[in-house]
Amino acid sequence: MKIALFIPCLVNQMMPEVAIATLTLLEKLGHEVIFPAGQTCCGQPMTNSGCFDEAKNTTLKLLNAFKGVDCDAIVCPAASCLVAAKENFHEFDGSQEAQEVISKLYELTEFLHDIAPIKTFSRPVAAKISMQMSCHGIRMLNLATPTEQMGKQRFNKVEAVLGNIAGLEIVYPARIDECCGFGGTFAVDEGAVSAKMGKDKAQAHAATGAKYVVGFDPSCLLHLDGMIRRQKLPIATRHIAQIINDAL
Amino acid sequence: MSELYTASGSKVHAHKADIFCRDETRVDWHSKALWALREKRDRAAGSLPEWEQLRLLGSQLKLHTLSHLAQYLEQFEQQCLSNGIKVHWANDAQQHNEIVHGILAKHKVKKLVKSKSMLTEECHMNPYLERHGIEVVDTDLGERIIQLANMPPSHIVVPAIHMKKEEVGELFHQQLGTKAGESDPLYLTRAARAHLREKFLTADAAMTGVNMAIADQGAIVVCTNEGNADMGANLPKLQLHSMGIDKVVPNMDSVGVLLRTLARNATGQPITTYSSFYRGPQEGGEMHVIIVDNGRTEMMKDKILAESLKCIRCGGCLNTCPVYRRSGGYSYNYTIPGPIGIAVGAKHDDTNSIPWACTLCGSCTYVCPTMVPLDKIIAHHRRLKADAKRLPYGKGGYMPLVGRFMASETLMNTSMSAARLALRVLPGSLLKPFSGAWGKYRELPVAPESSFASWYNKNRSR
Ligand code: SF4
Repeated sequence: MKIALFIPCLVNQMMPEVAIATLTLLEKLGHEVIFPAGQTCCGQPMTNSGCFDEAKNTTLKLLNAFKGVDCDAIVCPAASCLVAAKENFHEFDGSQEAQEVISKLYELTEFLHDIAPIKTFSRPVAAKISMQMSCHGIRMLNLATPTEQMGKQRFNKVEAVLGNIAGLEIVYPARIDECCGFGGTFAVDEGAVSAKMGKDKAQAHAATGAKYVVGFDPSCLLHLDGMIRRQKLPIATRHIAQIINDAL
Repeated sequence: MSELYTASGSKVHAHKADIFCRDETRVDWHSKALWALREKRDRAAGSLPEWEQLRLLGSQLKLHTLSHLAQYLEQFEQQCLSNGIKVHWANDAQQHNEIVHGILAKHKVKKLVKSKSMLTEECHMNPYLERHGIEVVDTDLGERIIQLANMPPSHIVVPAIHMKKEEVGELFHQQLGTKAGESDPLYLTRAARAHLREKFLTADAAMTGVNMAIADQGAIVVCTNEGNADMGANLPKLQLHSMGIDKVVPNMDSVGVLLRTLARNATGQPITTYSSFYRGPQEGGEMHVIIVDNGRTEMMKDKILAESLKCIRCGGCLNTCPVYRRSGGYSYNYTIPGPIGIAVGAKHDDTNSIPWACTLCGSCTYVCPTMVPLDKIIAHHRRLKADAKRLPYGKGGYMPLVGRFMASETLMNTSMSAARLALRVLPGSLLKPFSGAWGKYRELPVAPESSFASWYNKNRSR
């Protein structure tokens, strides 16, 4: 498939290794990958704060970067940004062209589960990992059934994607899908509560005895990484793309 | 902690939460106590194969009733009248309090026993009646505790959840003369029972809230675990019940649906210990129902906000909320805290901060038995505040700058490379003061040498 990468500002500027792993793994899977120029941010910091006027130019700039780009799918290694991009594109541009871009948007895990599943992994990854089930991915993107929801048909796309990697042991922290407390500007507006949430989450991950906290949302991972290092916990963060890339 | 115990006031949520967070042991204990309720709820909800169906039904029947509200309220009034119940209408809190006082004054009531009513809290009825010389006794154990402590409720279902049993023991020792240093819940509950029994026996009138008002029956439902509503309503001859216009449901079938989810979602019980139906005054007595608007009709004009009126006040969204559990009920600048408190209270918050006391994680929306889209409502409140230029935390000032910054690649690239360089070469201690709340609580990120875009240009660009 021909894939256009959507690399959100945080990943581009602060966590390029996540984008590189995403690009590499998609190439290893035989896809043609391009990175359309002109991407900055999806506008989430602004729309999340209620400031839609301030978000408009930013959002439309990102949308324009993808308009008319020849590709089968647009893939993003950040669940929260992906959700925001979808909603914001829709909010600010009702055109057919915008709709075409929106219909091609996928979060990486979602893409690897629903659209182009991985047939075989070639390398084992001998590690115990504690999954960070970030809110927007599970509750807005249906990457897994949230714990609040009842009923028989439970699913977990993250586990389904990683499940066939030899040597990998997947565990979960207590209060498995409780929010880590990042929440965009929440982390600075509500410093004390955000930090307490992050501290509790980091400790719950460390308590599993896992080597890595693995997640699909870089912003949660960045926040957890700061909390983990502050408390000197014996665990480190990795993005799901890095684990998959190691296994291919 | 006294600073926290002001229900209203001009302090932003983050400030109050910060004070609450200083006592980490208390935060852990508070968070754990409420999470235990969430876990009980999960077990109870999970034991019903039809749980998600019940939520959908609950949501649909509330939406249906809300969109035919006038019709159902009229039917309810008609049926009440033919059952011998007196019906009153109040536009706002003031009118509600005046109506209640009018009824009580006519009967020369000196002492009123009351149970289970967040609406009377919303209307600040107790102080109003007390100013008019009427003693109001809250008869719910939790409500009585906070009444004795002179505090508002900190939770809608377990109003004294923020108090440890030792603190209740000390309070009872001072107010009810129980043994000093005694904190055994059984002993304290017994003492409270004895004290309340005396109040029940000498009360001139009783008042309760309403969980549901059944339109085609002209009856109301009150759910309690302690049976105190019944004690109250059956002892004196005069009974009053206050309800918001949103409490009406069409018929008994609807009650059946909501009763199955209410207690399960609140405390994990299959049903509240007492679910009492009142359908008319006792022999020789009087029964009054006061139907209150107090801003609800206004809320219905906004399609998104209107959905908050589906709420049946189970408290489930508070128990699951990671922010509420760590910031306490008194940080929300409104009688009702937590996600639903933001949904219905944001417009009363003079600090404009409570819509931001939320990470938009969405857990509340999935917990809610009537599918109130709480995260969407909260996000909508932010937009309403922003449109009205009432942003907290300096957002009004810096957001336009962020907007301009994010929309420009050049601005973003140059300043971000500077930031990355600073993060790599300057010692962390030098940066921390400049990085605000982030650096106060966390280590700053380890910065990479270059952005992905420049890596891509070097390695992949053809
Ligand atoms: S909004 Fe829903 S979960 Fe929250 S108290 Fe109301 S009914 Fe319960």
